[in-house]
Formats: sequence, structure tokens, C-alpha cells
Amino acid sequence: MGLIDTIGRLATRHTHVLVVEVPGWWRLRAAVERAVLARGWSLAVSPADADVLVVCGEPGPGMREVVDLVWHEMPGPRVRLDLQEYVDVARRLEEARLALLDDDRHRHDSRDRPTSADLLADEEEHPDHEHEHMDHGGGHEGMDHGEGHEHMDHGGGHEHMDHGGGHEHMHHGDMDMSPGGIPLAEGGEDRDGLEMDVLNVRLGPVLPHWPAGLVLRCSLQGDVIVDARAELVDGPPETTPEASHVAARRCDNVAALLALAGWEDASAEARGMRDALLDEHRPGAHSQAATSARLDRLQRRLRRSRVLRWSLRGVRRLSEDDVRRHGLPTHSAGDTYDRLLAMVDRVRSEETSVPGLDAGLLPSLVTGLDVATARLVVASLDLHELHAEHETHEVSHA
Amino acid sequence: MPDSMPGAAVTTVAPAWAVAAAAILAGLVVLAAMLDGALTARANAAPGGSARPFGEAARLMRQRRRTTVSADSLLWRTGAAGLVVAALLMVAVVPLGEWTIFDLDVGVGWFNAMDVMVWALVWLTGWGANSAHSLVGGYRFLAHGLGYELPLMFALVAPAVAAESLNVGRVAAAQADLWFAVWMPVAFLVYCLGVVAFSVWGPFAPALGADVAGGARAELSGVDRLVFEVGRYALLAAGAAFAVPMFLGGGAGPLLPGWLWVLVKTGALLGILVWLRRRLPAFRPDKFMEVGWMVLLPAVLVQDLVVAVVAAGRG
Repeated sequence: MGLIDTIGRLATRHTHVLVVEVPGWWRLRAAVERAVLARGWSLAVSPADADVLVVCGEPGPGMREVVDLVWHEMPGPRVRLDLQEYVDVARRLEEARLALLDDDRHRHDSRDRPTSADLLADEEEHPDHEHEHMDHGGGHEGMDHGEGHEHMDHGGGHEHMDHGGGHEHMHHGDMDMSPGGIPLAEGGEDRDGLEMDVLNVRLGPVLPHWPAGLVLRCSLQGDVIVDARAELVDGPPETTPEASHVAARRCDNVAALLALAGWEDASAEARGMRDALLDEHRPGAHSQAATSARLDRLQRRLRRSRVLRWSLRGVRRLSEDDVRRHGLPTHSAGDTYDRLLAMVDRVRSEETSVPGLDAGLLPSLVTGLDVATARLVVASLDLHELHAEHETHEVSHA
Repeated sequence: MPDSMPGAAVTTVAPAWAVAAAAILAGLVVLAAMLDGALTARANAAPGGSARPFGEAARLMRQRRRTTVSADSLLWRTGAAGLVVAALLMVAVVPLGEWTIFDLDVGVGWFNAMDVMVWALVWLTGWGANSAHSLVGGYRFLAHGLGYELPLMFALVAPAVAAESLNVGRVAAAQADLWFAVWMPVAFLVYCLGVVAFSVWGPFAPALGADVAGGARAELSGVDRLVFEVGRYALLAAGAAFAVPMFLGGGAGPLLPGWLWVLVKTGALLGILVWLRRRLPAFRPDKFMEVGWMVLLPAVLVQDLVVAVVAAGRG
């Protein structure tokens, strides 16, 4: 008993948290990220890595479905927190920690949770639902961690059955086209006119450092995006951007881009600055001068790094004409490295609101790029709010 | 291996000592993970840095294993668990001062074979889960491999040419006057880069990148993730340990006994490699390929040429 308790206490000291942001709730997400890191916990990058799922904001019907699927994909012991107001985040995390230690609860959870076979059978019973999924091609493939059935967890108690599990759903549906409920890749011509498999995958909406609520339905050849369609889960958010937080939001975007570029220290620095800027409105916070000095340091650091420049130079260079044609803000001109530096410069700007960007512009910017570069390009656009020009882009199943 | 091979530079110990070698490797893994935990905590201004590896291990042992629909379980689990095995096989040929477990005549080639095995293991980890993210991660590692592997091989050639032997003990003994790291710095740096790369570490971690939700390890949980992570640290430690007889003079050094010098040098190099992780942005696989072939490979070939000329001149 003593040993199990000790392991539990030791384990929950380094809990991994998957944070899901509902569009319009980025400040709550930032607060959660900050509280998580301040406890010495980590931010998970996939459901498999997570012990605690934190949903920031009030999800609409589409987002709720996505979150439920992410929840099914978590291995357990698992705890879910739904935060819908700016509550005392640290206290809620402490509650989550105690819940993680409740062995009985997790024993029941593992016994009662649905297996992948259950979830797939569920889908068969609701042909409309199934049809909806099929329509989106291989959305099941799991780029998204939202719809990917292959992640369906069999839970601890079922672990030993995993070999059977895969075969069990072989007799479900179309055996040739979608073994295990996952459609196979189809052939198509690649850039050189040669036959190459095309795989349909979704990027988003639950993906680290990805704009909240955005889904890119991509056709991939290898990891090159040959075709893409953008959608917003549940449509654009109703909240209006809060004027005083533009600078902090920008730091958050800088942190995301640096994290995607694989530079953890610089990303942590940008994140720390975001938190300092959010604090400025509270009494007893850091002075503005200190934040400004920090910004100078980060700026120098970014300019000095040759590896960063080498890595981001030339990535999706946009000329002034391109920018005008796409209807992007003027500071989007140049390549991803230019956009990063410009973004950091603009942290100081006195802007109080940033016009939203039409999500429909993104596909043309990422088509032809591999997934890694596409992620860098999307992050370099300094997106604040997204809106969809055509409301038909909604993916809600409701 | 006969114990009294004529002219052997090191003594072969009984195979049971492999347990001790594994224990030393485990110790290095723990130290490396503690250092990384401390550096991470410092960057996030968070508590509990150096205790992190113990907490993480407890967490992963408590977590359930999971599987994915139509996963290729055998290959998936083999890939994740294989990294530790590869690292253990690497240290088997590293002499600890004057003792070695496996005094192989082609020890350098053996090490190289093990590091090539990592290609298969990381890719299988990405492949087995039957998930697009994982698979993209697996292929990113192969793309990196195409860039770093040949330079790494030719970097290993330089000390072997200078020592006129592929036996690791003899390579170490050949550095009695001057460390190879000093007069073949290019080979040494390229070797270190190769170690970081086959450990999927730091700038070579896009295969495990956040942009693809963790890449090759996206679907791993519980004990599977634990052995995978331990495997990465073990590879980094094994790579650092192998650098000692190859480039850093083996057990040679004042005052301390040879075995202790080997550990000190290994620990120091390992510390630098761990520290590097947070300091550098990622080398994007597509861009690194160009560097590997256009810069590293020619540079290390010139290094080999210089070493060969010097070695021939001596002969």
C-alpha cells in the first residue's frame, strides 16, 4: 500500500496536461498553461501523453464532440476539467491532482469506458453520423486527435486484448476500403505526375500551437499538402477581442512559432513575457520597463540565432503583390523569418484591436508545403481571430 | 574472445560484468534526465527540476498502456523498446579504462551497425501505431538519417585510420600522446552531431515534434513511452561513452584511475549534449539534408584525407 501511495504521489508531481482551447478563450488557456508550468507539470502534446484534460471555455456542439473523442483517446488514469470562467485555476489543478490519486475511481473508469469496438458500433447504428464522417474522407486517420478512431483506447483492463481488437472490427463496414474503420489511402498524381498515395487527414482542432477551432482538411502525399480546405468548428466565436491584450496575444503567437521551430528556451521566454503582459493590469505586477527590457533581449536573441534564420528563411515568401491579392495584412510580406521579427516588433505597437482573418485564405498559403513548413507558415501569420467567409464551413454535426 | 589475445590493449572481463555495464548506463541515463529536468524547470521558472525523471517514471508506470485500431503491435512495441537494447549493445564495446566486456576486432564497425539499427527502430515506432502523425514523425527521422549517417560513418573512420585498427581499445591506446579530438576536430564535432541525431535529441527532434503532436511517439503511453524515452537517453549516454575511447583519449589522465576518467569524460560530454537540447532551434530535415551532403560530408572527407596522409607519413 505504502509503495503504491508513494508512486502515486511522485507521479502526480509531474502530471501532463492537455489543454483544449475553445475559440475566444485564449486568455483562459494562457492562465491554465501558466498554472500548469508553475506547478512543475508539463503540457501534453497528444492525448496519449496526457493525464488531465482541461477544456478552456464553453464548447459548442462540434467542439464538444471533438473533446469527447480526445477524452476517449486518453490512456488513464485520467481526469477532465471543464473550465468556463476565469476561476482559480491553481485550485482546480490541485483538485485534479487529488482526483488522479483516487484509485477506485480510475478502476471504475477503466472498466466502464467504451472500447474502440463499442465506439465504431455506435457509429454504425447512426448511419447519418457515419455518412458525415465518410464524407470527410480519411478524417479518421487521426491527424486531428479529434476524430481519429485509431486512437480509441482499449483501456487498461482491455490491454491484453489488443491483438484481437484490431481484427474484431474487420467485419465492420467495407473491409477492403477501410480496415478497422479507417479508409485506405487512394492513388493520385504527385507533383512530378507520378502515381502516389493520397491520404486525407485533418489538422486540428486539438493540436498544440494551432489556432483554436481551426480545422484544415488536407490531402497529403507523403507529408506534402496537395490540397486543403479550411473550416471553423462551430463557426466563428462570438466574443470580441479584448483591446488591452493584443500585445500579450502576440507574445503567445511568437511563443507558438518558436515552439514549432523547435527552440524551447526562446519559446519559454516569449511565454513568460505573455504572462507578464497579462499581469500588467493587476496591482503589484512587473513594471512596464522590465517587460520592455525583456522584449529587447528576446529580439536580440532571435536576430542573433543563425540556425533560426537558416531554418525560417525562404519559407513561404510572399511579395507585396501576393499580400494584396490574398487580402493579408501588409506586415505579412516577406518570408517566415521576416514575419517572426515583424511580429516581435509589433508587440510594442499600441494597436488595440486586430482585424480577423478569413480562414478560407489559409489553404492557398499551405498547399504545396510539407506539414512542418505549413505549421510554421500558419503560426507566422500572427492570427488573432479567425472568421469564415462562408458559414457553410462549419463542421458541426448538430 | 580470448583473454590473452596477443597485443590486446584491454582485458576482457567475464560476461556477467555486463550487468555492471548496464547499471553504469542506467546511472548515466538518470543523471542526464535529472540535468534536463533541472534545465527545463529553470526555463519555466518551475519547481521540482532534478526530481523530474523519478516523477515521470512513476507517472508512466502508473499510466495504462494503450493501443490503436489496427496497430502493428509487434513492430510498434519492438521499435519503442529496441532503443535501450541498441544502446546496451553499443556500450558493450566501450572499454572502461582497461576492462571491456566485448573486445571485438571490429568494435568501431559494431558501434556503427548499432546506430544504423536505430533507423529501423524509430521508424517502426512511427509505423506501428497506424497513425498519420506517427508515420510522418518516423519518416522525418529517416530524412534526418540520410543527412547525418554518412558524415557520422566517415567521422568514425578518422580515428580508426589514425590508430590503424577498428578495435576500440587500440584506438584509445593510440591516443597516448594527443587526443584525437584535438587533431581531428572536424571528425569529433561531426561525431557529436551524429550522436545527438541518432538519439532523436535537441535539434534533431522534429521526428518527435509538437507540430505533429509528438510524431513517432504520439501514440505511446505508459510503459511503452517510458522505455522509448529511456532509450533516447541511453543512446545519448552510449554515444558520449563511445566518444571517450574514440576521441577523448580513453582512460588516460592524471591522478584518477582509468575507469574513473572514462566516466568523468563521458559525464562531461553527456552534460554538454543534454544542455544543447533547449539551446538550439530544430534542424528541419529537408534543410539539414543539404548541410549533411554539401558541408558535413566534404568536410569530414577532407578530415579523413588529412588523417590518412599523417598516418601514412608516420608509417
